[in-house]
Amino acid sequence: MSAIHVENLSKVYRTRIKEEGLKASFKALFKPVYKEVQAVDDISFTVEQGEILAFIGPNGAGKSTTIKMLTGILHPTSGRISVLGLDPAEERKKLSYRIGTVFGQKSQLWFHLPPIDSFVLLGAIYDVDKKTLNKRISELTELFELGDILQTPVRKLSLGQRIRCEVAASLLHEPDILFLDEPTIGLDVVVKQSIRQLILRMNRERGTTIFLTSHDAGDVEQICKRAVVIDQGRIILDQPIKNLKYHYLNRKIIAVRFEYPQHLEVPEGVKLEKSTDISARLSVDTRICTIDSAMRWLIAQGGVADITVENPPMEEIIASIFRHKEGRIQ
Amino acid sequence: MKNVKAIFRLIGLYFRLNLSSAMEYRGSFLLQAFGMALSNGSFVFFWWIAFQQIKGTIGGYDFRDVMFIWAAASSAYGASHILFANMNAITRLIATGELDTFLVQPKDTLINLLCARTSLSAWGDLAYGFILMALTHGRDAAAWGMFLLAIVIGGLLMTAISVSAHTFTFYFGDASLVGNMAMEFTINFCIYPEGIYRGFVRVVMLSLIPTSFIVHIPLKLARNFSPLWLVILLAVSALYCCLAYCFFYRGLKRYESGNLIITRM
Amino acid sequence: MKAFRKYWTILRISLQNAFVYRSNVLGGLVFFLIFMFVFFNLWRAIYQSGEVAGYSLVQMVWYLCMTELIMFGCRTGIFSQMNEDVKSGSIAYQLNRPYHYVWYQFFNALGGMVFNLLIYGLMAVIMAMIMVGPIPGFNFATLPLSLISMMLAMFINFFFLMALGLTAFRLEENTAFYLIYQKLVFMLGMFIPVEFLPGWLQAITRYLPFPYMTWAPARLIVAFSWELFWSVVPVQLLWFGLSVILSMAIYRHGVAGIQAHGG
Repeated sequence: MSAIHVENLSKVYRTRIKEEGLKASFKALFKPVYKEVQAVDDISFTVEQGEILAFIGPNGAGKSTTIKMLTGILHPTSGRISVLGLDPAEERKKLSYRIGTVFGQKSQLWFHLPPIDSFVLLGAIYDVDKKTLNKRISELTELFELGDILQTPVRKLSLGQRIRCEVAASLLHEPDILFLDEPTIGLDVVVKQSIRQLILRMNRERGTTIFLTSHDAGDVEQICKRAVVIDQGRIILDQPIKNLKYHYLNRKIIAVRFEYPQHLEVPEGVKLEKSTDISARLSVDTRICTIDSAMRWLIAQGGVADITVENPPMEEIIASIFRHKEGRIQ
Repeated sequence: MKNVKAIFRLIGLYFRLNLSSAMEYRGSFLLQAFGMALSNGSFVFFWWIAFQQIKGTIGGYDFRDVMFIWAAASSAYGASHILFANMNAITRLIATGELDTFLVQPKDTLINLLCARTSLSAWGDLAYGFILMALTHGRDAAAWGMFLLAIVIGGLLMTAISVSAHTFTFYFGDASLVGNMAMEFTINFCIYPEGIYRGFVRVVMLSLIPTSFIVHIPLKLARNFSPLWLVILLAVSALYCCLAYCFFYRGLKRYESGNLIITRM
Repeated sequence: MKAFRKYWTILRISLQNAFVYRSNVLGGLVFFLIFMFVFFNLWRAIYQSGEVAGYSLVQMVWYLCMTELIMFGCRTGIFSQMNEDVKSGSIAYQLNRPYHYVWYQFFNALGGMVFNLLIYGLMAVIMAMIMVGPIPGFNFATLPLSLISMMLAMFINFFFLMALGLTAFRLEENTAFYLIYQKLVFMLGMFIPVEFLPGWLQAITRYLPFPYMTWAPARLIVAFSWELFWSVVPVQLLWFGLSVILSMAIYRHGVAGIQAHGG
């Protein structure tokens, strides 16, 4: 049986439009004006048990709406959802015992108390008996290397420690599926990396199915076997990560600044996108030229003052998906 | 029955957690509680002056009667805000999406979210009522009995009033002003003799904002016990709380259907 | 003259600002309405049970409308503003500006006060007219004099609140003072006319600033007499001066501390 099965799912928001000002507010009280927004538009997909699936797309693409429908917070306008054989809209409570959720920056931990206190509360909320809970906590402590962190008030923890506790908190009741809504949003590289490793480890050790939304292509590259790309409420790509990586995640952007004017002769696989005398923005095709050799070449030019390497923004990846599709049709 | 037990267990757990959270800031906690008790004290002064000026009753109440409703209102407010401080934050929880966190948990959404925060100064309100009762009613067992009953019923009714008012957020968008107004009316109806209000307001106090059931009827029962009024008190309070509960869940349906996000243009 | 123009500009801008940020005015008006309605009911009941010394019900209701108006008029958040400025250290950045911090804050708040006085004043008059009708024998010619007393009352309250806020230089937890201060204002004039207090307390109260923040102007409105005017307005001027000096002194003392120890 598949863990998540979605068929022709749509969500239309009926939004009240309100103009600024007292008079408009008053008018809206008696004659509200509505506007319909198609947040999710007829999507279908399946997630197998034990799979890690990334749901990626730019902001406002419908990722959060989808995850809210999968967890039962929002009810679909039309279509069918089955999560672990349950209908989230009808059986939210029953489902909640079997899923875990981490919503971006909304914490389930108590700010002024050590995480262990929050764990005990969550244990009670999910009806985990004391013995099982203690066993579970010690397992998670070991897995996530929580140690002393458990006894320290959350406000004194570093962001990375806090996120580790946050993920651990959502696993106390041994959910079969873990939903992560933008788990790496606003985190620095090191913390992002440690979260990705956590997710991988959990999936390997317990076979937990993972459904993750992100607008960061880096999340996808490293941990997922399959990615679904969504844009304006529609699925535009559903492929194994290998294909995605080869066709669309094959570029890195290097921004470089020099201490003195430089004239660059770029090697094969590197494209000069923008440049001034002392700075440049390079696009590297990693299929032809690895980041390692691109960096070596840059350093060899001499006088490098500053370098940043980043993934191309989601919007660019989506644009290239569309380009690719059109190319195939022609 | 199992359900009820689970709810009490949850309230108890949140209470313990809230208390230990408060203890992280002991100094501020004591200061706030003390400040609140002091601030309430100035009203006693007013009533003392008022009753000095006119030697008689005001709105049919004598000094001790007024002290009883003050004590009951203060302690009911305190108890409800120690346990359910989030009652005044429901609109904010909806607007910021924090409500989602409670929706994906397997416990009763309303109770779960109400319990999740406490108020430090509320301890001052709770204690103040007891002090006032001890000073003005000594060992009057009937009065103490009704006082304790009023804390439970009044606390639940105050919570229900606030929940109902904030539930309008599900229907019309930001209802924080409605919520604040409902609380302000509740307090102001509770701390004066019901006899000072007339006509329409008295009807409101028995229906929409049922403050008469929070303090005035318990006072009546403390002075002249009547089984009939006790039954009415319990029945009406239970009915009002149930209605508020259902109203909230009806509003929540609108949230689930996603028809509430307000875009400003 | 130049200094005057500077502060006049500050006042004008803060007044414009008050008109733009009207969002919390509606809430304020609603609460003003609730309080007045409750007080009206309360005093009507008290008057039914007996006579109260020196005030008719009409006078009493107008008295409360006026004291409430003064309190709402002073709602500029000066105490919390001072508290924040001092505790966050942002006051240090204002030291080298070409104006005096205390006066800057005053003229900055004045716009809000004038705005409040207009809005809540209109509300107060309408409510009192509906509830009890006009004050018998009210003489419009004396109104400007009463308004002078009312402005003075607001200024005294403002500067005392500012002084209380500035105590944050020295005290970590000064909110308790604020609470006590508010309750004293409340008991010694705002909610209860001074004439109602027991003799011994009246005697003490006469030497405190509190009645001059509420009782004096409200009494002038409901029962004007030249005798009363000349007995309260000079005292108000005196308290106004003292409150300004107090704010300045605490400010100087605090600033000296910052300059010596770097905050």
